[in-house]
Amino acid sequence: MNSVNSAILDASTGWAILGGFSLLWVALGWYWGRHAQQLDDYVLAGRRVGLALGTATAMATWVTSNTTMAAPQLAFQIGVWGMLGYSLGSIGLLMFAPLATRIRSLMPNGYTSGDFVRTRYGHTAWRVFLAISLFYSLGWLVSMGMAGGILIHALTGIPYHYGMTVILAICVGYTLLGGFRAVIGTDFIQALLILTGLVVIAFLAIRQVGFESIHSAVLAERPELLDLLMPAAIMFLFNNLLFGIGEVFHSNVWWSRAFSFREGVGFKAYTLAGLLWAPIPIVAGFVALAVPSLHLNVPAADMVGPMVAANLLGVTGAVLVLVMVFAALSSSLDSLLAATSILIVEDIYRRHFKPHASAEDMRRAAARIIVGLGVLTWLLCAPRLTTLAELLYFTGAFVASTIWPIAAGLFWQRTNSNAAIAGMVLGSAAGLYSYFAIGFYVAALTGAAVSMLCVLLGTWLAPREFDWAQLREDHPLHVKELP
Amino acid sequence: MTMPTGILAALVLAALAITAAAPLLLLALLIRDWKRKQLW
Repeated sequence: MNSVNSAILDASTGWAILGGFSLLWVALGWYWGRHAQQLDDYVLAGRRVGLALGTATAMATWVTSNTTMAAPQLAFQIGVWGMLGYSLGSIGLLMFAPLATRIRSLMPNGYTSGDFVRTRYGHTAWRVFLAISLFYSLGWLVSMGMAGGILIHALTGIPYHYGMTVILAICVGYTLLGGFRAVIGTDFIQALLILTGLVVIAFLAIRQVGFESIHSAVLAERPELLDLLMPAAIMFLFNNLLFGIGEVFHSNVWWSRAFSFREGVGFKAYTLAGLLWAPIPIVAGFVALAVPSLHLNVPAADMVGPMVAANLLGVTGAVLVLVMVFAALSSSLDSLLAATSILIVEDIYRRHFKPHASAEDMRRAAARIIVGLGVLTWLLCAPRLTTLAELLYFTGAFVASTIWPIAAGLFWQRTNSNAAIAGMVLGSAAGLYSYFAIGFYVAALTGAAVSMLCVLLGTWLAPREFDWAQLREDHPLHVKELP
Repeated sequence: MTMPTGILAALVLAALAITAAAPLLLLALLIRDWKRKQLW
C-alpha cells in the first residue's frame, strides 16, 4: 500500500500542526531557559525539580515513539504478550526509584552516570560503560528520528525525510535554547497531550469496533496473537523486563533526572511515573489487535499503530495521533539530547581533552554537542536501514549487561571492579550472540544473565572494599556560577 | 490457551482507567507544588 495515497490528513494540515507545535515548543524553551545563567541551571534545572514536574518528565520521557509505535507493532507480531511485555518496561522506572534516592545521597553534586562508574570502578570500566551508553543513546535517538519520519509520512503523506528533519530540528532548537528546564517544562505539557490523546483514541476504538468483534476476528485470522503460552512471546516478556531495567539503570537520561530532583522527590517521582506508565503500552498495543477485524493490509509492521488509528478515527483521529506522537517523540528526544550532551561534555570533552574547562566552556560545549547529536542522528536516520523494534532490541544486548554492575556498585560495598568490567563486556558479547543466533527477544535476557554471573562470581571470589565518600568528593564540575 | 474476551476487555479497560486518571493527578500535583513554591 502506498501510504501517501492512504494518508488521512493532507500534507498542508500536517505542516500546519507541526508548525504550530514547533513554534510553541521553541517559544516555551526560550522562555523557561532565559534565566538559566548558572551551569547547574542549564544542565540540571537547578537541582530543585518538584514532584509534579519530576513525575511528568520521567513518565513522558519513557513514553517514546517506541511505546506509541513499537507497542502496537509488537502486539501485531506476538500478540497480547507483546503489549503486556512492553508494559513491564515500567519495572525499570519502579526499580530505579530507590536507586534515585541512593544516587542523590551518594553524589549530591554529581552530573552523569559516567561520573559514578569512573569513581566506583576505575577508568577501564568507565570507558566500556561510556561505549555502551553512547551506543545506546544513539540507537534510541535514531529509532525516534525514524519514528518521526514514518509516522508523519503515514498520517500526512509528508515525505519521510522532511518529517524526520522537522522533528529533529525542533527538539534540537528548544533544548539548545532552554537546556534542561525547557526539557522538563515541555515534558509536562507533552505528558498531558500523550495521555489525553491515547485515552480518546482507545475509547473511540472500543466504541466503534468493540471487544467482541476484535477478539473474534483475531481468533479467526491470527489466533496465535491471543495464545497465552506462545513460547517466543513469553521469552519476550522477560527479555523486555530486563531490557527496560538495563535502559533505565545505566542511561544518563535517568541519572540526570535523579541529580535534578529536589531532595526527597526522586523515589516518589519514579514510583509514580512507573505506575502511570505501565498501562500505556497496553492501551496503545490493543489498537493493533483491531487489524484483522478491519481487514487492513499492513505493509510494514512499524506502521500498524498509525494505520489502525487513522482507519478507525478518520481526520480527527489522525490529527490526534499526530499531536500525541509528536509529543511522545519530542519528550524523549529532548531528554536524550540534553542527557547525552552532558555525558559527552563531562566524560569525554572535559575528562579526556580539557580537564581545566570553565563552566562557560562546558555550557558552550553542551550547546555544540546538542547540535552535533542532531546532525549525526539525521545522517543515521536518512537511509532508514531497519525497523524500529529491530533497532531498539539490538541495543538490548548491551544495556542489560550494565544492570548488575550499576546496582551492585550502588548498594554493595565489596563489588569487584574487574568483575563489573567482565560483566559488561561478556554480557554484551553473549547478548549480541543470542540476538543473531536466536532472536531479538532473548538478547537482553542473555546479556543480563551472563553479566550477573560475572559480577556475583567475581565479587564472591575476590571482594574489594570501597569507600563511599569517594563518590561524594568527586564533583569537580559543580561550578556554582558562570564567570 | 487463548485469552478470553472478558479478560482482554478487563485488562484494557483497567489500563484505560489509569491512563485517564493520570493527567488529573499530574495537574493536582502541579497545583500543590506551585502553592508550596516547589515547582523547580
